[in-house]
Amino acid sequence: MTTAPVGPRTFPGSRRPVIAGLGITELGKVYGRTAARFAGDAVGRAADDAGLRLSDIDGLLTSAGVTNGVNLSLQRDLGLTDLKLLSEMQAFGSTAGQMVQYAAMAVATGTADVVACVFADNPLTENRGAGAAYGGAARIPTGWMGLLAAGGIVGANPMYALAARRHMTTYGTTSEQLGHVAVAQREWARLNPLAQMRTPITLEDHQASRIIADPFHLFDCCLVSNGGIAVIVTTAERAADLAQPAVHVHGWGQSHPGHFLRRSDGFGLVSGAVQSGPAALAMAGLRIEDVDVVELYDCYTFTALISLEDYGFCGKGEGGPFVASGVLGPDGKLPVNTGGGQLSSYYLWGMTPLSEGVIQARGQAGERQVADHDVVLVSGNGGVLDHHSTLILSPNPA
Amino acid sequence: MRVGPVVRDDETAAFFDGTARGEFLLRYCPDGHPSSPHAQLCDTCASADLTWRAASGEASVISWAVAPGRPTGRGPDKPTVLVVAELAEGPWWWSHIKDADPDRVTVGTPLTIQFERFSDQHEAVPVFAIAA
Repeated sequence: MTTAPVGPRTFPGSRRPVIAGLGITELGKVYGRTAARFAGDAVGRAADDAGLRLSDIDGLLTSAGVTNGVNLSLQRDLGLTDLKLLSEMQAFGSTAGQMVQYAAMAVATGTADVVACVFADNPLTENRGAGAAYGGAARIPTGWMGLLAAGGIVGANPMYALAARRHMTTYGTTSEQLGHVAVAQREWARLNPLAQMRTPITLEDHQASRIIADPFHLFDCCLVSNGGIAVIVTTAERAADLAQPAVHVHGWGQSHPGHFLRRSDGFGLVSGAVQSGPAALAMAGLRIEDVDVVELYDCYTFTALISLEDYGFCGKGEGGPFVASGVLGPDGKLPVNTGGGQLSSYYLWGMTPLSEGVIQARGQAGERQVADHDVVLVSGNGGVLDHHSTLILSPNPA
Repeated sequence: MRVGPVVRDDETAAFFDGTARGEFLLRYCPDGHPSSPHAQLCDTCASADLTWRAASGEASVISWAVAPGRPTGRGPDKPTVLVVAELAEGPWWWSHIKDADPDRVTVGTPLTIQFERFSDQHEAVPVFAIAA
């Protein structure tokens, strides 16, 4: 048993980290803009939202998606001078949560006072299918990844499908159970004006949707979106005078199992959330039972299901019956992916669960607002269950 | 499916020399632990002193996925069974199972390694086949 990590509760009250701004650009099939323009727009919107000027920002963390179009040049684009913190960050889908962690540590220690964390991507091109955006390179493949591609292992779909199948053959999880995740999240998306997919779907629709890589149907797979999202991390003291209710960052954790393209007994059976979740909760001094709202990375229905298991919302291997029990969706008792998630709202990597978590923690989610939102868990997932980040957010200072 | 094109780089040159001979090369440390062909250090003991040795070519299914056939001028392709397999020596590898009926594949299905090329200009790629 390790001791509880030194976290925000041990910081001086004035310097405890909060999220004070959220900026969301137009999302989805928005063409003709580079990822850098989306990123700049998102940071500007986040500063406006917080009631800050761009010149108040003294730290900038950037995260690029598949088009790799956001980098240190964003400082110049935004005219930010004399920054005390600046880096490009990359741990795929866990990056957004990790940027908040590094920003929180920076403001808590006085390294910087106002840190913008931004992700933007523009994988969609007009008149080109969404699948092509993540389908792999046009050049002749080379090296180990080229070798895998030549054998048919291209992009994320095959690897996640192999992972999901292993869960199915080990625990009896079914495609219909995965479908419950998709249907429940679409119900939430109906209530979210930001969501790209708001037409209700049934379990039959899920089963009838075309096969992408069996066991995955189309409705098991996330959307592809253009856009950018930024958050502003600052101290509780600074946030007291700002425009939005502060969202306190009470705990965090990461996990990077290191099994990608290696023999791994846990492949498809356990994710990094099993480590990052307890670490984040311990830092916050909370238990999983205390979590009111759950915002998970759901690049596939399966990713949400295995994350629920690994955080401990149900037992290991019981995710299938758990999600099929009616616990999810606006009428269920566990609010999970309350904006529709990456499956139905928008796919901005880890910014999807983070942005919805901030909106819920503030109490600004309108029709989809969860009444009890004192503790919000935000989960990031990158690679093929290879990188995990967890945040514990709350509108309450302690 | 037929295999796609791939060309070598410095990291894969020795491995592709092996596939050209019909061998799937693994890496071995002085203590005899087998590691993946892309390992830089021994997966078991972290030794950096690794040499190449051919695997037996026997493997079994850990997990599989089925990519649907794409439309062609002659009607739809057959579906492709993608697989992660455990080699008899221990390391895992990822490719597809040649001409496999998805209904014949399950956890533990015995496989053998074969090699195919996209063209003479490209490297030989290991693929699996269901063992007779």
